[in-house]
Amino acid sequence: MKKILALMLTGAMCLSLVACGGNSAGSTDNSNTDSGSAAQESADTPAAPAADSSNTEAAADSSASGSATEVELWHYFDASNDKEAIIEWVDEYNTLQNDIHITATYVSREELMNQYTIGALSGELPDIGMVDSPDMASYISLGVFEDITAELNAWGELDKFYPGPLSSCMDSDGNLYGLPQNSNCLALACNMDLLKAAGYDHMPTNVDEFQEMAAATTDTANGVYGFAMCCISTEEGTFQIIPWLRSNYNGAGVNVDNLTADSAVHGLGVLGDLISSGSMSKESVNWTQSDAFNQFVAGKAAMCEVGTWHLAMTGDINGAFEYDFCLLPTGSTGTSTSTIGGENFGICTGADNKAACVDFLKWLCSKEKEGEWAVTAGKIPTRSDSVANYDYEQDGFAVFVDEMNYAQARGPHPEWPTIGEAIYTAAQAVFVDGTDPADALSKAMETIAPIVAETPLP
Amino acid sequence: MFKTRVGKKEFFNSVIAIIIAIIFLFPIYWLAQISFKSDAETFGKVLTYFPHEFTFDPWLVNLTDATFLLSLRNSFINAACTMLITLVLGVPAAYGMGRYKVPGSNVFLLTFLVSQMLPASLTLTPMYLIFNKIGLLGSHIAAPVAIAATSIPFAIVTLRPYFKSVPVALDEAARLDGCNSLRAFISVMIPAVKTGIITIIVISFLNGWNDLVFSMTFNVGAEMRPLTANIYKFQNAYGTKWNCIMAYGTILVIPVILLFIFLQKYIIGGLTAGAVKD
Amino acid sequence: MKGKQLSIDKRKRREAYGFILPAFLYMLLVLGYPLIYNVFLSFKNVNVKNLTKGGSVFVGLQNYIELFQNDTFLLVIKNTFVFTIACLIFQFTIGFAFAIFFYQKFRLSGPIRGMVLVSYMMPMAVTGLLGKNIFSNLGLINNLLSKIGITGPEWLVNTSTALIAVIIMNCWVGIPFNMLLLISGLTSISGEVYESASIDGANWGQRFVFITLPMMKGSMLAVLMLGFIYTFRAFDLMYIMTAGGPLNSTDVLGTYSYMLSFTQFQFSKGSAVAMVLFVCLFIVGLFYLHLLSKEDD
Repeated sequence: MKKILALMLTGAMCLSLVACGGNSAGSTDNSNTDSGSAAQESADTPAAPAADSSNTEAAADSSASGSATEVELWHYFDASNDKEAIIEWVDEYNTLQNDIHITATYVSREELMNQYTIGALSGELPDIGMVDSPDMASYISLGVFEDITAELNAWGELDKFYPGPLSSCMDSDGNLYGLPQNSNCLALACNMDLLKAAGYDHMPTNVDEFQEMAAATTDTANGVYGFAMCCISTEEGTFQIIPWLRSNYNGAGVNVDNLTADSAVHGLGVLGDLISSGSMSKESVNWTQSDAFNQFVAGKAAMCEVGTWHLAMTGDINGAFEYDFCLLPTGSTGTSTSTIGGENFGICTGADNKAACVDFLKWLCSKEKEGEWAVTAGKIPTRSDSVANYDYEQDGFAVFVDEMNYAQARGPHPEWPTIGEAIYTAAQAVFVDGTDPADALSKAMETIAPIVAETPLP
Repeated sequence: MFKTRVGKKEFFNSVIAIIIAIIFLFPIYWLAQISFKSDAETFGKVLTYFPHEFTFDPWLVNLTDATFLLSLRNSFINAACTMLITLVLGVPAAYGMGRYKVPGSNVFLLTFLVSQMLPASLTLTPMYLIFNKIGLLGSHIAAPVAIAATSIPFAIVTLRPYFKSVPVALDEAARLDGCNSLRAFISVMIPAVKTGIITIIVISFLNGWNDLVFSMTFNVGAEMRPLTANIYKFQNAYGTKWNCIMAYGTILVIPVILLFIFLQKYIIGGLTAGAVKD
Repeated sequence: MKGKQLSIDKRKRREAYGFILPAFLYMLLVLGYPLIYNVFLSFKNVNVKNLTKGGSVFVGLQNYIELFQNDTFLLVIKNTFVFTIACLIFQFTIGFAFAIFFYQKFRLSGPIRGMVLVSYMMPMAVTGLLGKNIFSNLGLINNLLSKIGITGPEWLVNTSTALIAVIIMNCWVGIPFNMLLLISGLTSISGEVYESASIDGANWGQRFVFITLPMMKGSMLAVLMLGFIYTFRAFDLMYIMTAGGPLNSTDVLGTYSYMLSFTQFQFSKGSAVAMVLFVCLFIVGLFYLHLLSKEDD
């Protein structure tokens, strides 16, 4: 047996060595062509039956449409609803016109960001690209997206878009590089059974009551915490922490360029107290938003900071308990506050047939399509004239639509990632090390102040 | 008398070996058992050591993913190409450096070592730029070329001592029989160090199989991505739905284990043969 | 017993280059440019604003100076060394012990030696996820500890314990790796040497110190060297298991450089961190070469 293996090996080595013997350039090229041809073969044979449907269909269509420019669209929709919808929609658009033929490719969010960064240098970019709204400013600054201000102004529908989401597609001079396709924000989900058991028949109306309820619903023996949120060391954590920093205290709220203000210190202090009193798990510093929501679904968190898209996942609760949604709590005066999230689409630098790609963008973000998408994906339209007829969780959506009125966009700022890091670091210092909120936030301001001094937040 | 002493030693050794195996394999059992649990049990208040409610759902979610089979194929291509490049370039170089003393051999060794020292964050962007220029991007071989750049030095550093320890007489005898240096290398030296070569085969294959960063960066299309690259997709989509994630993790590990069980006979055969007979 | 290197003459030299050069050129082609590219980048001030629009200038050592004045970076350096040295100590000693143990001939030695290797073969991405699971507050490790009456810490939440958890996971992978390489080294020691030693009346300990260790020197050096390099440039494990957190307590040079370059778009700073990583390894590499050349003489 050993001999056979040794022989096989020797044979393989022989072949490759002998083959490169005739090639004085060295075996580098040789091994490349070897495996290259193997790769080619497998590419030539039709893909396995489970091949990505968008690709196979794309190939079939292109032969029919002939003159259309081939256009590549990258997205990171990964929930089952929107993942399928984007493919259907692109196919629909392909049949509507003959200028471009779009192929939609899924690229996970992490990778997509890397691809844009590297693509900015190499010029290897898709034609149409999706991006998370707070990151757009950075990619605009990196030159990933084309300035399409003129085309969009000529369209005449820009005034229908909500200013927050639209602003995330602009550079500091107000030029537009894309359109917001959907938006979302954060609100509070409550396990009504747990609240009732603790003696409350309503959801929290302000921060003080929220703290009280969180303490009352905590049941350490059963592993139930009063509140769950995500404070992970990524942009997701920043997204969920900001509303607490901005919430009102003594009638005043602030922006993230003034984090040493009393209201911000108080807001972070509220969360810090929840951790130190055991009403919130320290593990929130490692939880993503899905993780925090999973805790809520499992009945291990009485209240949870959730995003609009979680509404589409409430089916997981499966009748285990009564739940409801309300605005994020704030001080006894003033309004609630939240953070805007959402996805933008832009035309990438060097795109083929830019004008036709802009037309697709206009179609994708038209009044009707925005409304349809919001229903499909569990998001909120970015246009005031779009109507989304949610066929599930009507009441839940009403809360989020209301919360949108008080929600603020992150940035836009090309150095937002650095600002975001300073924010989640401050929060983690309070949660993990028990640092005083005022100290943690003034440390964050040491990073943020010079950045906003150079390019102010809008 | 003698017999029982051997028996006792065999017994104690076996007990220790089994304890080691349990410690090392338990996490893998853990991975697998979670993948058969229901959501409720995964999040249950009591940590269970085996699924009380056995379900295949987490597996079905992953296996029915549209790109699963393609990804499986791509993982194999990645691994096989990496192994091939490593063997063809690394083994001769290890021989050359172990057997001959040539001027500049320290420069060679340093170069091979240096190439192990570059972190992925440093090589990603410039490699992408080169691969883009020479048209490798989006081909099945882009990632293996990059991964092999880390397994070749590995092969050289680990095989070099093997070649050095083979008696020169063996080499010289082959030459006296009329072999040229290449033939001598192939027909005498490679069989003499087969233990080391099997190690390199296994490790370079795994380097290719387990790669995440390179294949993710150089290949964007779903039809080009290996299994490892999908873990992000599932991590984002599932959060701490451990049963689904662990099912995917188990799927990633199974081919490795199967391959290993198949190869193990040869690996252990090779090892003991070297120990007993030579 | 050990083979001598062939004497040098022109023909032999040509042969040697024929064996070595293909791999050498391959490495130069694939990795030479990235290295030069990064050296330049680390001396400039390339960031999100000037990457493509131009206007970046050479700033000399400024990136490096700023890094060494930055508390986070100093913490990251400390983490990297603590992680590497701790992993190396445990992996190597336990790995060596396993290698010697499994080198013995008994019925289960082959199969179990093989089984143990599976942890090394798992993709780091899966290992990271597994680590995240078993070290969670109510996870397997704390559950086992509670069975023997110990209340386990909140491993991945506390800055003092997160790195320990990551080190344990890395050792779980690294011990079999060390064992595999060292067992191959043991195999290459000729059995006759041992036999003649036993005849001469050498006991187990003497045989280990006077035969095994000296003959294993080459493999041991190689294993330690490779172990150091792989551990020092670790990335995947932390990236998946803790994302460098909480509060950078598991951030190492690999993850920190990646975050600066790809999340924060501070490209030159990211390059400078990667260069620091590289220089540290380079020094260790030179030391290894020095030892090797002493051994060769």
